[in-house]
Amino acid sequence: MRLSATAILVIGACVSQGAVAEWRLNLDPGATEISRSVYDLHMLIFYVCVAIGVVVFGVMLWSIVHHRKSRGAKAHNFHENTLVEIIWTIIPFAILIAMALPASQTLIQMYDKRDGDVTIQITGYQWKWRYQYLDQEIDFFSSLSTPQAQISNQQQKGDHYLLEVDKPMVIPANRKVRFLLTANDVIHSWWVPALAVKKDAIPGFINEAWAEVDQPGTYRGQCAELCGKDHGFMPIVVEVLPPAEFEQWVADTRSAKEAEAAADTEQDLAQLMARGEAVYSSQCAACHQPGGAGIPGAFPALAGSELILRDRAAHIDIVVNGRAGTAMQAFGQQLNPVDLAAVITYERNAWGNNTGDAVQPREIRALQP
Amino acid sequence: MAAKQSLCALIASIAAAAFGVQSQDKLERDFAHRSAWPFIIGGLLGTLLFVLALWWLVDWVLASQR
Repeated sequence: MRLSATAILVIGACVSQGAVAEWRLNLDPGATEISRSVYDLHMLIFYVCVAIGVVVFGVMLWSIVHHRKSRGAKAHNFHENTLVEIIWTIIPFAILIAMALPASQTLIQMYDKRDGDVTIQITGYQWKWRYQYLDQEIDFFSSLSTPQAQISNQQQKGDHYLLEVDKPMVIPANRKVRFLLTANDVIHSWWVPALAVKKDAIPGFINEAWAEVDQPGTYRGQCAELCGKDHGFMPIVVEVLPPAEFEQWVADTRSAKEAEAAADTEQDLAQLMARGEAVYSSQCAACHQPGGAGIPGAFPALAGSELILRDRAAHIDIVVNGRAGTAMQAFGQQLNPVDLAAVITYERNAWGNNTGDAVQPREIRALQP
Repeated sequence: MAAKQSLCALIASIAAAAFGVQSQDKLERDFAHRSAWPFIIGGLLGTLLFVLALWWLVDWVLASQR
């Protein structure tokens, strides 16, 4: 008997250790001083709740068992006891005040937005994020990079399924990075648990948050405010680099942008189509669908579209400037002229729209101020 | 003397209401009053004081952190 009990205990211990490694139920302590103090607060308050639960339910159960009717207990009938009532009001009051002391310390730290080293404006779009480094003149969009085939179960899902993007936000380690959050269309929420930042991005408002990450690495998050059809498909990836590497990244990104702008050469149809297909699947396919069929009643079909086939200028215009009052965004500010030319060319020639027509980057550039 | 006593009782009753605990005796005594206005005005004043006290407390905490 004793042997089997020991065996069960040993097996139980092994199983639970394996299980703990596999399904971690608790929160992530995170990668910043603030996130660790949030985690510590959470644990402290959790243990306070456990202690209260043990005391309250312990006294209750003991009373139920000890004063049960079969033992001849008689109910004591009384209306009030002011002293007891005052005691049971003061005790929770004191507990709440005791918990508020460390919590307010953390909150004050969290809201101390002074002295940022890097400032990034984060704008939520349906359904991607835009990062503008205000002092570094870097500005890019970050969209989901999980292939459509993984989403529709035609391919094995990757390790970071739906938590991977084409261009991550890059920030330096051990520097105070300020985030200015807003949105272009509807309310989004920028949430990266490891940074302990979860802040609503609201059109017309600027919300502030900050993080100082001490360990370089990759941290992932998601949009945390239901924002429409692809709310679950606009993840956040934050790449934290040592400060020197961050400076290098800033220099590289800026020179790459200059090179892109300089490469304004004519491209042939095949080049444009290849690039256009990639742009289409990351920027357009969410609404207009990978096959260009759209979603009837919500997002118009591009395959066989009258507008595309008959009016070239209107097609370029709607992609560059969007259409007010609909979900069609102005991509002129989101994509560079080469990508715009490529994706318009792709839409004019894919899925049986065989116009044979190539739109060149200089035509797009001519439309932009 | 009686006026002073009833003012103390009024303040004690308002404080008891804010705290949320009052005895049946005092409740009956208070409800024997002809008018409810002293309690209503006292309650509003008490709330105002509470808000100002919270304001001062937050200011003091923030100032002591900086």
